[in-house]
Amino acid sequence: MPILEAQSLTKTFRRPDKASGFKGAVKHLMQRKYKNYTAVDGIDLSIEPGESVAYVGPNGAGKSTTVKLLTGILRPSEGTVRVMGRDPHTERIANAHDIGVLFGQRTQLWWDLPVEESLKLLKHMYGVSDADYKRRIEKFDELLDLGEFMPALARTLSLGQRMRADLACALIHDPKMVYLDEPTIGLDISVKDRLRAFLRELVNDGTTLLLTSHDLADIEEVCERIVVIDKGAIAYDGSIDRLKAHYITTKAVNLYLEGAADVPELAEKFPDYEWAAGEAPSEVTVTYESGRFTTAEVLGSLTAQLSPRDLSLSEPSIEDVIRRLYAGELTK
Amino acid sequence: MTLKRAVPARHVFAIYWRTWFAQIRAIVEYPADLWVMASAGAVWNILQFAFLAVLFANVPNVAGWDYHEMLMLSGLLSVAGGCNALFWDGAWSTGTMVIKGDIDYRITRPAPVIIQVGSSHIGMQSIGEVVFGAAMFVYGWIGAGIGFAAVPIGVLAIVCAALIQCALVTALCAVNFWIKGQASIFAFLLIELQGNAMKMPLGIFPSGVRIVAMFLVPVAFVNFVPVSVITGHMSAWWLAGIPAAVIGSVLLAVGVYRLGLRAYDSAGH
Repeated sequence: MPILEAQSLTKTFRRPDKASGFKGAVKHLMQRKYKNYTAVDGIDLSIEPGESVAYVGPNGAGKSTTVKLLTGILRPSEGTVRVMGRDPHTERIANAHDIGVLFGQRTQLWWDLPVEESLKLLKHMYGVSDADYKRRIEKFDELLDLGEFMPALARTLSLGQRMRADLACALIHDPKMVYLDEPTIGLDISVKDRLRAFLRELVNDGTTLLLTSHDLADIEEVCERIVVIDKGAIAYDGSIDRLKAHYITTKAVNLYLEGAADVPELAEKFPDYEWAAGEAPSEVTVTYESGRFTTAEVLGSLTAQLSPRDLSLSEPSIEDVIRRLYAGELTK
Repeated sequence: MTLKRAVPARHVFAIYWRTWFAQIRAIVEYPADLWVMASAGAVWNILQFAFLAVLFANVPNVAGWDYHEMLMLSGLLSVAGGCNALFWDGAWSTGTMVIKGDIDYRITRPAPVIIQVGSSHIGMQSIGEVVFGAAMFVYGWIGAGIGFAAVPIGVLAIVCAALIQCALVTALCAVNFWIKGQASIFAFLLIELQGNAMKMPLGIFPSGVRIVAMFLVPVAFVNFVPVSVITGHMSAWWLAGIPAAVIGSVLLAVGVYRLGLRAYDSAGH
């Protein structure tokens, strides 16, 4: 049975329809006009317990609105949501015990209180026992180095510390379903790595995770399944491996030749491949269709005839695929 | 079948007080702000005191109310307003929270949103308001010759006044769920109305105003009705109306807030 199920989920907002500038504002004051804007358009989504799902899409695609619908913050205009069999909006209190939420762009810490005080307030709100609280804080400390800034006021934390503290707040009650909306936004590489390792651990422990992020490394390192949303509708829903296998139809080899590369001549000599000049004069990139040629075949023919000084293989990038999905170059 | 899980009242109170005390700890981070605000509230009430003293130096009574009874009216209103700021100032932030999407996290926690918002801020000017308001009330009480026997009614009047005031302010601040403004304009209007009109005996106003203040927006039950009963201007039967006004106001506030949360559309979509 799915832990989360959304059917025909739709959210429409009413927005003021006004011209720009002072004149537009005054005119709107006299003649109020609105138009409807559909942020989420008939989404069907089903998540099984223990799954880790990346929910990605370009800015304004409807990711955050979907998360708000799934967490009960917003009421759907149409369609239904069930989280562990409950409507998260009408059964808000019961649902709150089972979910953890983090919005990367906002904090739920009490601004003028030490981190420890915020966590204790949430402990009491969720009714977490002293023993469970102690055990979880020890675990967070071990994985997120929470201890170093537990006594610090929230307003004095760095962004990385704030995000780690917020993650602890979202997980203090050991929720079964966790929604993380851009948890690594604005963080440096080392903090991102630490957070990703923590999230992997969380998934390994059986927590169900829905993660939205613009950082595709978050997705590849933490999630098995990816849902791509664009203009409020799902453009792709499946495993990351299948996405790669289905949409990545070419591979590339970078060659470093002894002398300057003559791209037109090489293209004439090897017409089955696509050639492009690299950053250095002696560097050239060869792109080939992975369905027609094996990498061994390509490397064999190139090394035999060109004797490159060095070469490297370009790994297929999920980022390119998603970029092309956003651009509408690929279809479901 | 899934049952809706209600939050036990004891748990709600515990959450409220923990959050409130946490705010107190946060406030002492800014000691200068604390003292300036507390002093401002006190100065405001001293001015009220002085105004009434000057007024009654020239006018023997207003619609049958003497100086000490008028002090009780002003004092009880100040205590009610001060309690609103001291214990429930967060309600005033409703509009800002709606505009900025700051209600989001509060919806995802297992506690009533209205409790989390109401306890999210403490107005420090309220200390001066409560202290000097109470002093005016007690001074008026003694001056009006009301004995100790009526003290339980006085205590009930203060508690009910604070509850009605908080509930009415909350209901009016919740209008911002729909009008999407940061300023709680309707709640400000209520405070202005009370500051200008409810420090006077209701008898000086036309009957239409009296009916509105008694039954439509029951501001008269904050200070006028209890002080009238205590001083004998109204019969003791009116005492029953005070808890009824509390229940009505609280139900109104909770109902409007719930409807507001249904209309809430967060920020950034």
